[in-house]
Amino acid sequence: MTTATIEKQPASAQPSAVSFPPPARTAPAKPALLLIGLDLGTNKSCVLAGPAGSTDITVSKVVPSVVGYVKDGIVDGIITGNARILYGAEALDQMLHVDLVAPLDEGVISRPEAARDFMQHIRQLADPSGRAEIRAVVGVPANAGEIARENIRRSVQGIFSRILLIPEPFLAALGYRDDSRVKQPGYVDPVVNSLFIDIGGGTSDLCLVQGYFPTRDDQISIPFAGDAVDELLFDELNRTYPNNGLSRITVREVKEANSYVGPSRKPLDIKVVIGGKSRTLELGDAVGNACNALIDKIYPALTTLIQSASSDSVVTLLQNIIVTGGGSQIKGIDTVLQKRLTDDGYESPKVRLAGQDFQRYVAMGALKAARAARENQWQVLLG
Amino acid sequence: MSSAVRLTALAEALHRFEPPWIEVARVYRRICFLRLEGLAEEAQGVEDSEFAGAVARARAACGTGADSILDALMAEERERVAGAVAFAEVLVPMLTRRLSGLSPATAAAPAPPRARLPARDASRGIADFIDDMLAQERAGAR
Repeated sequence: MTTATIEKQPASAQPSAVSFPPPARTAPAKPALLLIGLDLGTNKSCVLAGPAGSTDITVSKVVPSVVGYVKDGIVDGIITGNARILYGAEALDQMLHVDLVAPLDEGVISRPEAARDFMQHIRQLADPSGRAEIRAVVGVPANAGEIARENIRRSVQGIFSRILLIPEPFLAALGYRDDSRVKQPGYVDPVVNSLFIDIGGGTSDLCLVQGYFPTRDDQISIPFAGDAVDELLFDELNRTYPNNGLSRITVREVKEANSYVGPSRKPLDIKVVIGGKSRTLELGDAVGNACNALIDKIYPALTTLIQSASSDSVVTLLQNIIVTGGGSQIKGIDTVLQKRLTDDGYESPKVRLAGQDFQRYVAMGALKAARAARENQWQVLLG
Repeated sequence: MSSAVRLTALAEALHRFEPPWIEVARVYRRICFLRLEGLAEEAQGVEDSEFAGAVARARAACGTGADSILDALMAEERERVAGAVAFAEVLVPMLTRRLSGLSPATAAAPAPPRARLPARDASRGIADFIDDMLAQERAGAR
């Protein structure tokens, strides 16, 4: 046991060892609280993050929804930092050296282990220090079932402290809303009376948003979206150009650069490299047919929702049909949907595209929801 | 039964829990119900479109053995649907008798119209929308 003795020493003497009283106990610093808005997409996810109590957005990233597990036997130094797991664009860049796994299929988690790894990555992106407490609002497809929701909860257990799951098309409306103009006369608040069409990779979700939280009957989720269009185009290419050797990734890139709906646009000559040689393929009909199939799926759902709206709201609703998600980049999709509605007798429909921020609206709405959520609305994740 | 046959049966069973085959089962179940309801044309439409697509995706994911998995899956779903219908035929009259015995007025009353929360209330904030959502989830869970 150490005793404290303080003696007066002559100036020349060696200082004696003294012990000091222990410092006053201070409470450990509370971890910072970070809020995340997460659009967990089949092909691409968008994460926005910012500190609670602030309007700052400290992280804004679009990440391909893919995990790459490095193959056995890869020589040291080939993979940066000799990492064993890669994510997003990095995984795609190293696709020759990794086994690529897509955690989601048709908008819901299909590979739980990969989903969990992906969520760890999302956390790392939002909070590189690893010290913050994180609460996340996560978008789910319209009318997602309980199994899909539970899979999301399990994938973030121990990663986020609290979670809220909210349908994506409603979040898109929230994100699309310009909060600075809500009280301006003449501004049509998309949350008050609109119909959102969110065309992603796995699902196309349609939602009536009319000033209250949409019920199940106000939402339709169609498991036909970007990936299904890729599949149709892939099959058509193999029919027209057998043994072309084009990968699904290349086909998707061709689609994203050239997609259109409406009458055939020919010729659509695309240069691709097959077997090391440059070839020109004419893909006008193939691309058009694949994309028009999407319209044939969406249109009946669109008219179903329009017809379910009350008569005193439907005329304004028809003026506020908004297409968002990756599918909003299909050339002519607004014009074609609007024309079909007009031809079918609907009163002055107006279909517009969400604009260049189409990838972020769901995540923006999710972050807004995270900032506004009351304490008792969050689900606490135990473990 | 040889170990090779046992392994095949196990592999089949495991395959049926993979997402492409779950989707095939779900769509085929719907076709069976539609046929039982006498909606043959609609059933054929689903078979030609959704079912064909789902099977194609499952075959692509599965590779070899897809035919045997598909045959087994379809037989199982037919049996399941038939069993469910038989069960319902017994259960519905039983429940009807019991419910009408408990509260005849309630049993006879029509379902209330779907309540819509007030729209265009500028004072409603995002947290109020979240309350609506949670109330719907609780009502759906009951």
